[in-house]
Amino acid sequence: MKKVHIQMDGDTGFQIAPMIDVVFVIMLFFMVMAGAVKVENHLVTNLPGTSESDSADFVDEQIIGVSETGEVTLNDDAYDGQSKELPTLKAALSRLKQSSDASKNQCVVTIVSEPFAKYSRVIDVLDALAVAKISSVTFTVGEEE
Amino acid sequence: MAGGGGSIEGGEPEFQVAPMIDVLLVLLVFFMTITSMEVLKVDQDIVLPVAPDAEKREKERGEVIVNVRWNAETKKARYSLDQIEFDKIDPLKEAVARASNAAKAGIKAGWNPAVRMVIRGDASLPAMEIQKVMGIGAEAGIADIAFSAASKE
Repeated sequence: MKKVHIQMDGDTGFQIAPMIDVVFVIMLFFMVMAGAVKVENHLVTNLPGTSESDSADFVDEQIIGVSETGEVTLNDDAYDGQSKELPTLKAALSRLKQSSDASKNQCVVTIVSEPFAKYSRVIDVLDALAVAKISSVTFTVGEEE
Repeated sequence: MAGGGGSIEGGEPEFQVAPMIDVLLVLLVFFMTITSMEVLKVDQDIVLPVAPDAEKREKERGEVIVNVRWNAETKKARYSLDQIEFDKIDPLKEAVARASNAAKAGIKAGWNPAVRMVIRGDASLPAMEIQKVMGIGAEAGIADIAFSAASKE
């Protein structure tokens, strides 16, 4: 840091060096804080039966199941076990989206969750759908058996 | 801002303190602003689930924001809307209907005309509690539902 020169007549004057030191420390604090800040984002769905479709003739509907144990299924096939990232589900959904786009059909996904399935697991599935850029999503909870 | 500058009469340019302070202060204001802008105004009792790929919040639209907390000991959910707490789902219905009408009335020109229900649920909630809140949204005529999630742990 800078050397501070103190005048011998008793008047210390305005000290620029400590001011720069303090400003540096405050700036460092805010830089670190800016990187650590959490942002609240949204995962958007529609209520069941309200999904908009331009062509009502061809809709690729996929059913994703979420069980109480955290198991995720796509059209009754289990994917990824307990993995939070759901990599193979993301890949499968991306392929389905590409295939729907290529055939100019709308890709509609319905998430059917068990009543006591964890909400955080449903969010994992919604995040996978966001990665696959599938926007027509409905969420419903299956009847308790 | 700081003014002045160093002398270059001797041929050798001096270290310029004043512009350095100017730059430092601008950087400081920048980081202060982005830090305070992004700080969550959230209910501290709710631990939001994490979804790194969720979309950014749309600001220019009418929203009804419902907080859903979960008490793991009593196994009961607790709801809040506009800082009013509800122990049961039935009184929440009327509050959501009122908030929906107020949100519709507050929609400005150029905004999305559809009112969105934002559910801020605790990560440990069972899915059926979310379904109940969605049902209330449906009764109030809201078809657009968004789930809040944090960008990182």
